[in-house]
Amino acid sequence: MGLGDKLNLFMLDPKSYDHMVNTQVKDPINVMTDSDYDMDLAIRMGKDAQKVLSGNMTQDDFHQKYSPDLKIEFGDLYASGNANTPDPSKGVRWGMVIDLAKCVGCDTCTVSCKAENRTPPGVSYNVVIEQEIGVFPNLAKVNLPRPCMQCDKPPCAQVCPTRATYKLENGIVAIDYDRCIGCRYCVVACPYGARSFDFGESYEDEMIGFNDITAPEYGVDRGTREKGKTPQGVVRKCTFCMHRLERGEEPACVETCIGDARYFGDLNDPNSVVSKLAASPRAFRLKEELGTEPRVIYLR
Amino acid sequence: MGLPGTNTQKQVSTSPQLLEKIWWISLFVMLAAGGIAIFYRITDGLASTNLSSLMPWGAWIAFYIFFVGLSAGSFLLSTLIIVFGMERFEVVGRAALFTAIIAMIVALTFVLLDLGRMDRFLNAMIYWNLTSILAWEVHFYLLYIVLLVAELYLMIRTDLIRLHQESTGWKKKLYGILTIGSTDLSPESRLNDKKWMKILGYIGIPLAIFGVHGGTGTLFAVVKARVYWNSALFPIIFVLSALVSGTALLTFIYIISQKVRKLHVNIDVVKALAQLMAFFLIIDLSLEFYEWGVSGYGLEHEHMAVLATMFAGKHAWSFWGFQMFLGAVLPLYLIFSKRTRESVTALAIASISIVLGIIGVRFNIVVPALIVPVIEGYPTGDYFPSWVEWVSSLGVVAMGMMLYTIGAKLLPLDEDENEVLSHE
Repeated sequence: MGLGDKLNLFMLDPKSYDHMVNTQVKDPINVMTDSDYDMDLAIRMGKDAQKVLSGNMTQDDFHQKYSPDLKIEFGDLYASGNANTPDPSKGVRWGMVIDLAKCVGCDTCTVSCKAENRTPPGVSYNVVIEQEIGVFPNLAKVNLPRPCMQCDKPPCAQVCPTRATYKLENGIVAIDYDRCIGCRYCVVACPYGARSFDFGESYEDEMIGFNDITAPEYGVDRGTREKGKTPQGVVRKCTFCMHRLERGEEPACVETCIGDARYFGDLNDPNSVVSKLAASPRAFRLKEELGTEPRVIYLR
Repeated sequence: MGLPGTNTQKQVSTSPQLLEKIWWISLFVMLAAGGIAIFYRITDGLASTNLSSLMPWGAWIAFYIFFVGLSAGSFLLSTLIIVFGMERFEVVGRAALFTAIIAMIVALTFVLLDLGRMDRFLNAMIYWNLTSILAWEVHFYLLYIVLLVAELYLMIRTDLIRLHQESTGWKKKLYGILTIGSTDLSPESRLNDKKWMKILGYIGIPLAIFGVHGGTGTLFAVVKARVYWNSALFPIIFVLSALVSGTALLTFIYIISQKVRKLHVNIDVVKALAQLMAFFLIIDLSLEFYEWGVSGYGLEHEHMAVLATMFAGKHAWSFWGFQMFLGAVLPLYLIFSKRTRESVTALAIASISIVLGIIGVRFNIVVPALIVPVIEGYPTGDYFPSWVEWVSSLGVVAMGMMLYTIGAKLLPLDEDENEVLSHE
């Protein structure tokens, strides 16, 4: 006796399983008769839907054939169209998802951010907080990459005395470097420590040419980095690499992440990868209890 | 902003002229040193400080809230006389108002020094963010200074006119400008002054409590990122410690300015002021007790970390030494002990000790709450002011003391009851 035959001794034949299941399944005709909706229409649509699946009927023909009936049957509910279509009037609202299970704590995001935005010493738009938790032998290393959360209710913009920091339509919290007076109230008020003051330091001593060019933050090209020249003396923070977004590129940290732990996209579009990941049961946001509504979502 | 230190009591034989010389020389030295520090501050920017993005605020902010507190406290003391008719404090009324103005100027100078872009300070007025407490404060401060100046003008108007009539040369010109053209010395006009002083006082009380100093406390209290500040008691504690420091400073100024001019120090006034200040201090301490007790009882991690930093951290000496010993234990002992409560010298020590203690209070508000990182795992902040911060602060305080000394010399800040009565 072969192995397969031995196993068959313990199994019923496939049809017996079907029978067992069928006794549990309700009669579809009865179920549909009980519903408030047209049963004939449902059966006809079901048959044609099979034709669409097998390629004997186009989707457009299917819609044309049933649209009048569906309008009568479902009214406005049908006419409102696909609930998953993004509303073009809302525009893009950027968001980021960071999968902590994929983060290895290599700090590539921090380094690429510094290179992209040419931030001076003491200013890092992105950091990775690395912590060991637990007691030996139950230890875990936790890496928490931290860009600016681009909060929807940003405490920094709330406290800024000059409205130099404000919320853009695309979800990004921006700073007007030409208006900021450098009072640093926002640095104190940010619950994520995402803001830094530009004390005017430079890497020029260890990196020739550091001062020759600055990143075109918020799309403004400010040329060379010079003593006392803006943005020295004002507060700076992560811009979601807005200058890169404007030319169709992802933020530097997202592009360079070695483990693909970062996702970037439009949270207004329910079909975007970030929107789908944001709905994951693993999703959480930092200091949710403060009501800041961050646009950076973590997956635990 | 007192006059020369307590050594005046030991050297009673020293002539007032010599003392004044020493006083001016020391002011100029402090001012010059401060000027050098401010030069470094301007050329090097905030890199000349020990501040960082982890410790964004430090000594200058602590001094700023200290002087706003002194101002609000002094002004509220003056309203006790003007509005509530507590005549026994009348001798310090004018000095209180003038101190309030000078302290406000000093406070705003500290804010200016602290700005990353000093050249843009007007932006806070041009682009007023209605949700920003700081923006509101800037406007309240200006309104408050206008009110203080108006109140002081009304208080000394008739004396200014008299000085204008009596003096000659540049002084006559100066007093002419200060009277703003008023020449009316009639008793009716004086009554009119008093009426308006009272009205301004009524407006000033809520302005000083809610607008100026409660508002400054609110500036901290609304910061939900810093749990230690984020308490509704905070603004009230600010107002109370303002009353403590304002009363203490005026007691000290009164005693010293009488002593250096070899005038009689009215012990009853000093005792009454000292008791008032002890009263405010005890309420202040009780509020702090509840604040720390309730926040500690919660055992919440960040709260505990701030309390631990304050009570047992690297700079805990500023809490125990300044805030608790100089700011509470020593003055309360001096005010209530049978051996010292009748002594003008002891009460002068008690009052200056409170002033120093409240500086500690202000530092302990700003620094420990910022040392504890907002997210666990961030590096812990560390901060002790740099020499530029210390020396520039000394310079700014010297500027305030100099303005006060000049004002005290030129303006009729002494309320001579007999003189006032004779004219009325």
